[in-house]
Amino acid sequence: MLFFSYFKDLVGREVTVELKNDLAIRGTLHSVDQYLNIKLENTRVVDQDKYPHMLSVRNCFIRGSVVRYVQLPPEEVDIELLHDATRREARVVF
Amino acid sequence: MAVGLRHFTARAGNGSEEPILDTDNGEELVHVQPSVSVAVGDRAPESPGTLYITTRQVIWLSELDREKGYAVYFLSLSLHAVSRDPEAYPSPCIYTQIETEADEVEDESKDSDSECSEVLDLSKIREMRFIPSDANQLDTLFQVFCECAELNPEPIEEGEEEGHNWIFSADQLEDEAGAGDDVEWHFSQNPTNTIGHSNGHHDLASSVLELQINDQRFEDAEEMEQDSDTGHHHQSQQ
Repeated sequence: MLFFSYFKDLVGREVTVELKNDLAIRGTLHSVDQYLNIKLENTRVVDQDKYPHMLSVRNCFIRGSVVRYVQLPPEEVDIELLHDATRREARVVF
Repeated sequence: MAVGLRHFTARAGNGSEEPILDTDNGEELVHVQPSVSVAVGDRAPESPGTLYITTRQVIWLSELDREKGYAVYFLSLSLHAVSRDPEAYPSPCIYTQIETEADEVEDESKDSDSECSEVLDLSKIREMRFIPSDANQLDTLFQVFCECAELNPEPIEEGEEEGHNWIFSADQLEDEAGAGDDVEWHFSQNPTNTIGHSNGHHDLASSVLELQINDQRFEDAEEMEQDSDTGHHHQSQQ
């Protein structure tokens, strides 16, 4: 549940979600659930060539399983903290 | 479950226009929205029909043409959104993106939707819009889409042999090598599908646990040459 918790802390921030079909959508992170489904507000498409009709949509729900990357604002990321947390998460517990 | 947009024509009889659902497997109708038009891909909106949202899929049935209907499982809906920008689309609508078979196999030769073809190949459709005659219903529809999408996370498939076939040791290839060219990729234990799989419910810790317990490659080479009852693990107890 690490990333679920992590993304919950980022609610309200601007993120760019890149989907596996290469579409990239920027918006304000509204909410995230345990499957890492993502809801964005005030979204706009980053590169409009592929999906020009999408332009700007107000509320958007993105299925967690189609997300490739979530790009975060660098100032929001504490790399050391994230590094430690993921290492702890991956540690074997007998 | 079928990927992508499908034709849907199974309507209950007796004057009821409702779609026939897979109630044996728990599918339930969640929301009905009449007077909804649908625009498939780049095509113009079709005559109004009724939108049925179930716990598994979105179904649209034409009011005029009883043979016409479309359906898509939530598992295939990559995203849905409320579209109110007239530059994006003239009518306020629910915009949806559909994951197609081509997406799943990472097909590079993606054909664009053909507006001219007589027979519409639904399996290639990537976008679909639902245009309610009452735009005030959009937020409700969006909410229902969200709730039902959340009911359909990626299924966890245990012991699946297709797709994520990881080889953990060269021994596996030697055991099963048959004909020269057709090397079948497979593995002997339960796959740890973490890498390359979707985010969410896979427990990285247990995946690592499995790797360590099952794989003798991690044993020191010297220890394995020893003939012993007590292996590396037990020495600390002595």
